[in-house]
Amino acid sequence: MLARIAHELYWLGRNLVRAEFTARVVDGVFQVELQGAAADASPGVVLGWSELLAMLGGVDERAARATREEALQQLTLDREAPASMRAAIERSREGARTVRDVISADMWEAINTSALTLRGDGEGGWLAPGGPYLSCQYVKERVALISGLADRTMLRDEAKAFLDAGSHMEAADMVLRILRVAFPPGDDAAAGGQALALLQAVGGFQAYRRAVPAPPNARPVARFLLFERAYPDSVAACVDSLHDALEAADASPRNSEPVLRLSRMAADLDFQRRTLPDEAEIGATCELVQQELARVDADLAERYFAGAATERRTTVV
Amino acid sequence: MSSDNPPSMTTEASSAPPERAYEPRPSFHDELFDDDGTPRPLAAALMDALERLGPAGLDDAGHRRDAIFLQQGITFETVGEDGPSRERPFPLDLVPRILSGPEWRTLKQGLAQRIRALNHFVDDVYHGREIVREGIVPWSLVAGRSHFARAVHGIRPPGGVYCHVAGCDLVRDSDGTWKVLEDNVRTPSGISYVLENRVAMARLVPDLFNAYRVRPVDQYPQLLLAALRSVAPSADTEATVVVWTPGPMNSAYFEHAVLARQMGVELVEASDLVVRDEVLYMRTTRGLVRVHAVYRRLDDDFIDPLEFRPDSMLGVPGLIRAYRAGTVAIANAIGTGVADDKAIYYYVPEMIKYYLGEVPLLENVRTYLLNDPEQLEFTLENIARLVVKPTGESGGKGVLIGPTATDEELTRMAAAVRAHPERWIAQEVVKLSTVPTAGRDGRLEPRHVDLRPFAVFGERISIVPGGLTRVALEEGSMIVNSSRGGGSKDTWVLEDGESDDRAESRLPDPLPPALPDLRYGGWTGQAQQQQQDAC
Repeated sequence: MLARIAHELYWLGRNLVRAEFTARVVDGVFQVELQGAAADASPGVVLGWSELLAMLGGVDERAARATREEALQQLTLDREAPASMRAAIERSREGARTVRDVISADMWEAINTSALTLRGDGEGGWLAPGGPYLSCQYVKERVALISGLADRTMLRDEAKAFLDAGSHMEAADMVLRILRVAFPPGDDAAAGGQALALLQAVGGFQAYRRAVPAPPNARPVARFLLFERAYPDSVAACVDSLHDALEAADASPRNSEPVLRLSRMAADLDFQRRTLPDEAEIGATCELVQQELARVDADLAERYFAGAATERRTTVV
Repeated sequence: MSSDNPPSMTTEASSAPPERAYEPRPSFHDELFDDDGTPRPLAAALMDALERLGPAGLDDAGHRRDAIFLQQGITFETVGEDGPSRERPFPLDLVPRILSGPEWRTLKQGLAQRIRALNHFVDDVYHGREIVREGIVPWSLVAGRSHFARAVHGIRPPGGVYCHVAGCDLVRDSDGTWKVLEDNVRTPSGISYVLENRVAMARLVPDLFNAYRVRPVDQYPQLLLAALRSVAPSADTEATVVVWTPGPMNSAYFEHAVLARQMGVELVEASDLVVRDEVLYMRTTRGLVRVHAVYRRLDDDFIDPLEFRPDSMLGVPGLIRAYRAGTVAIANAIGTGVADDKAIYYYVPEMIKYYLGEVPLLENVRTYLLNDPEQLEFTLENIARLVVKPTGESGGKGVLIGPTATDEELTRMAAAVRAHPERWIAQEVVKLSTVPTAGRDGRLEPRHVDLRPFAVFGERISIVPGGLTRVALEEGSMIVNSSRGGGSKDTWVLEDGESDDRAESRLPDPLPPALPDLRYGGWTGQAQQQQQDAC
């Protein structure tokens, strides 16, 4: 398939997952904050609006003083703000328009109507869901619908593989970013406390309760999000899926740098899961994994996308 | 253009019941109604079905149509008065246009004849120039066309086919005769709307189809693919065909994507293509892959910055070299635009006689060539009742319609024509035929239409039944371009037992091959000779 199309599909996958994660995190923080948990003096991981903006919107001077209204605006329905859900969905729509002959018609229609609904200009009877809770809920549902349609209606060929590769890459990247913001380097207070807010923001609370007997304290939560392969959004599971997707797409996976690098990462994550001491600094581990993923991203562009710039649309922190 | 028919005449009160209130515009040909307001036999069943649906039902279906088109992204962008462009659903009118089987066959034969002649002409222009030597078309006129491409002189594409895809615009005059308004043999667009209109009609108003057997249109992508494969220079492997689009910003991008998807081929942009050693390749995830045939949807000017416009960012450097080396087929062939010109249009009936030795089946609209002093004088005297068009443009750009123009516009145009007579032609005003069209509240009103059938020329010429009917949605308007308030209609060609889609007349059955030691003609010939000898 065309290098440009593969590149578009990869970014379509990334943008859709970015919208979904943004919705999840905003929803999570919104709920926690409403219930006053952030004001609670109990030590542990604190996720406020400033952290959220730093995590999703890149480093910004104003982020430090962000109010709830500003943050909500910038992260949900503001089309101009590059970090908003709506901007991510609009980018998906532009990308999907370009690859319209590759993805299925059902999938295109789902993406198209999602973008039109979020615009909410009433044309054709689509109305934007009101309020942050409903719009986040809407985006989560739509992305689930779109990825479901992709699984059910797309041919499982290279195109699907690159779409999947994009979404797994983005999921891993988002989880790593959240972890790095939640566990800033040299902050032991956070690492010792509880991390319920973090789990709720990522959306893995129920899965965690079922998988881990320990209470949601910071260290086990971080290990869960990094190493638990049974949880689909953990970094280890994403790396596994990314590896599988590229192996399927590549004609000679045994000579492929990104595939080889990913299998080494998968093995390394497994190794660390068993050997990493409990008191090791989580932020530092995350940083190493994130750097390695950035190299995979560069390898991908070199090998499959004819050297297309990977940071064309969004900056990766 | 229609000032001779004041609107009051069409809305005159009548004693007929409201559902029969449709009145054709006097002095225009209505395709579904007789002059006295009764449906033609062809349309009777359709009108009954519409009556059962009722104006409210039709209006309702219209709202559903807009919602579905927006959902599927079948839209075009119009620039609003407040600046930002808005996406609007493509305006499809839900009342179909009906053509009978025999009528369509005549049209089809006329079109095929015309396209064959145009193809001969393009070949001739870049090779022997016989038609110029015969003194039929002046060379200065040919060489002065903006789309004449010196770079492809002497190149004959595989199969000798230049006009792989052609769409001639047809109109119907007040007496009902079909006439050709212009020839589009560069990159005619609109076929995707033909395909989408049919799908939408079947979804929205299935009841209208009940009494009719309508010939399908969905074979077009396969016809096009087969034609492209048949001209692709690939020896032993399956030919790789691509559709080349200028990009998502192009107004016809939707169509490019539809065609690529339905043909199952890649939709490429210039950045995907690269020429190495006189061979065209595309960049894929597995390295470079050779391309054998390109269906390009951009003009010659932009195609190769080394040969044409050096500032083109949309082109592929070296493409013409590959084309000249015969390693890639390009559809339509480079330089075809020379036949897509309103000054050349004037000569098409002559071409048909000269190249094919046939009588033209379809007439031209009466045209005046302005580099002829006599015709120029005539035009300037009668400019207020003629249409003046620039020769090298398309899409209704720069056209002056005499009867509706102001005096100032007429004076300005007369000066422009006098300064550069070779850049303009003048035509008689055609009183475009009308077809009933759903108005605002679902009531039927006459609106003017044209027709663009699409022909594909590979090993033979195939024409999809019907084509794109464009309709002027404003009352009395004859401007059908979608950028200027035009819509479209589904065009039905009725099945009449002759299922043959071949545009040419049937070839005679082939004779059995001659045996080596017999003279040509085999047994038949010999038997005849014996009979002759016996006489």
